[in-house]
Amino acid sequence: MQQKKPKGKPDPFFIGWAKKPPKLLQGFLFFVSAVLVGGAAGVAFSIGASVPDPGNGTFLWSAGYQTMTGVVEAKPYPVLRLPPSEPGGEPRALLLSGVGKRGVQGLAGPLDGKQVDAGGVLLKRGTIEMLQVGGQVKLRAAETPLNSFEPQPAEDLGRWRLSGEVCDGKCYVGAMRPGVGLAHKACANLCLIGGVPPVFVSTSPVDGSSFFLLADAQGNPVPEDLYDLTALFISLEGEIERRDDLLIFKADLTTAKRL
Amino acid sequence: MSHKYIPVIWNRTKIVYDIVAVACIAAYLGVYLYVAPLFQTVTLPIDALIYRAQAYGTCVFFLLTVILCIGPLSRLDTRFLPLLYNRRHLGVMTACLAVVHVKYILDWYYAFSPTDRYVAVLASNTSYFQFLGFPFEVLGLAALLILLVLATTSHDFWLHFLGPPLWKTLHMGIYFAYALVVFHVALGALQSAAGPVIPLVVGASASLVITLHLLAARKERSTENDVPLEADDTPWVVVGDPMQIPNKRAQIVALKEDERVAVFRDGDKVSAISNVCAHQNGPLGEGKIVYGCVTCPWHGYQYRVEDGCSPPPFTEKVPTYRLKLKGNLLLLDPIALPAGTYIEPVVVGGVHAAEKA
Repeated sequence: MQQKKPKGKPDPFFIGWAKKPPKLLQGFLFFVSAVLVGGAAGVAFSIGASVPDPGNGTFLWSAGYQTMTGVVEAKPYPVLRLPPSEPGGEPRALLLSGVGKRGVQGLAGPLDGKQVDAGGVLLKRGTIEMLQVGGQVKLRAAETPLNSFEPQPAEDLGRWRLSGEVCDGKCYVGAMRPGVGLAHKACANLCLIGGVPPVFVSTSPVDGSSFFLLADAQGNPVPEDLYDLTALFISLEGEIERRDDLLIFKADLTTAKRL
Repeated sequence: MSHKYIPVIWNRTKIVYDIVAVACIAAYLGVYLYVAPLFQTVTLPIDALIYRAQAYGTCVFFLLTVILCIGPLSRLDTRFLPLLYNRRHLGVMTACLAVVHVKYILDWYYAFSPTDRYVAVLASNTSYFQFLGFPFEVLGLAALLILLVLATTSHDFWLHFLGPPLWKTLHMGIYFAYALVVFHVALGALQSAAGPVIPLVVGASASLVITLHLLAARKERSTENDVPLEADDTPWVVVGDPMQIPNKRAQIVALKEDERVAVFRDGDKVSAISNVCAHQNGPLGEGKIVYGCVTCPWHGYQYRVEDGCSPPPFTEKVPTYRLKLKGNLLLLDPIALPAGTYIEPVVVGGVHAAEKA
């Protein structure tokens, strides 16, 4: 490579171990340094200030440790059916999970259909709630059963095709922000492997809800094949049933299509 | 230059370099972590560990981009050569930041599970045969391993232990690491967690790296000397008019794809040595004769132009080449002589040139 320099023009040459860079280079290097530092700050601000809204899901630590009595249903995933909290109110169905990326099938299975005391910390995203079972009470046969409380039978809402994303119920409801998307896929799978209930978050609501507890077509826990579909934008067909304020999507996984 | 191993040989340039590098990193992380959140329009903030992981991860990406831009920028404009001088420190800092990024990910996404977090990295998402949903984490993991190997072997001990060609080949792995990181980001953060800005910035960064390398390659090709063989039986190649070589500088002659010779002129004397610095294979022909020695533009390693030896106590040597004059044309014997072989410089201009012709 020929270094063509006009005669008489300064030919500054940088040597790292020299005391100082050539004077002619000092201004340039200062300028480059300033651009790099300023550019770093500018890029950081642009990216950091424009992060998408991760939603309002959160642990309700401020509400403290909760204990509640209701009927636990173990299938497809543990759900606590609760009576109205006040006269004239509506009964509720609460998703249950364990501490961390764990489900509570082991605790709920033997108590299926029975009245239980459940203790733990609530998670809440909008109108969706989950109880992270733990602490002293955990999940046990009710010490003081509720008189004459019987959950309403499930209501069949028919067959639907929904578009949306399979998430793990706990992260979506607030254990992580953001708890959706492909960046979160491995975490979601890890939660599902641990027994956390999977949910389907639809782009359009059914009967006022875009959030569905996911089950297979027979109403059983979903198979491991589902892990390849988590966090992707897909469509699924299946029957939807209502248990109190919770919709359950009994999806036929053979109808899954990536959109 | 060094003739013994010291963990880090500090000098003023390196200190200033590191101060600027740390200032860049501090500005990036400081603004990302403490200023940008004040301007976010979010209902509730992103989890602290996820947000920190994003900050460190994106910082690593941009540092890698800068590191890869320095080389071609220096070829296109020699004023950028000072940025190349201490690039190894920048690489080590990048590897350290990548470790922090991974630590946050492990401590959040892979924590709280009955599955061991290190097992979970490989076992939780096994959708290896699909594009969207591909376990992009393993791409990042592979890139991290490369960065750690490069950072660990960045010291001159490893350079001498492995030898410059192998060391250089190993450290070209930075390009592979960068490609892995680009796909790691493209299949992960860009698919969901990123805002509107990061796809633009990531795309622009990758494009910048590619464009600068293409421009540098084009410049190198256009400025290299053609090497017509002499007409007679001897395989000497024509360098050209020696007086066209700027004083104290060199003309690079490309003999083969991987062999280049730097023909230096020092006043009325010309000498030829290998273009490849014995230290890190830097382009000696882009250097300058300083204090009577050819000085490498990358790290300032020096060689006597007559014999290709570093002045004592240093021991580096590079091959030398024979030159001769034929009329006004300078000719080069393309057969390299053993490193350190003394060759009397060819005197050019006036009576001496005529005599040699």
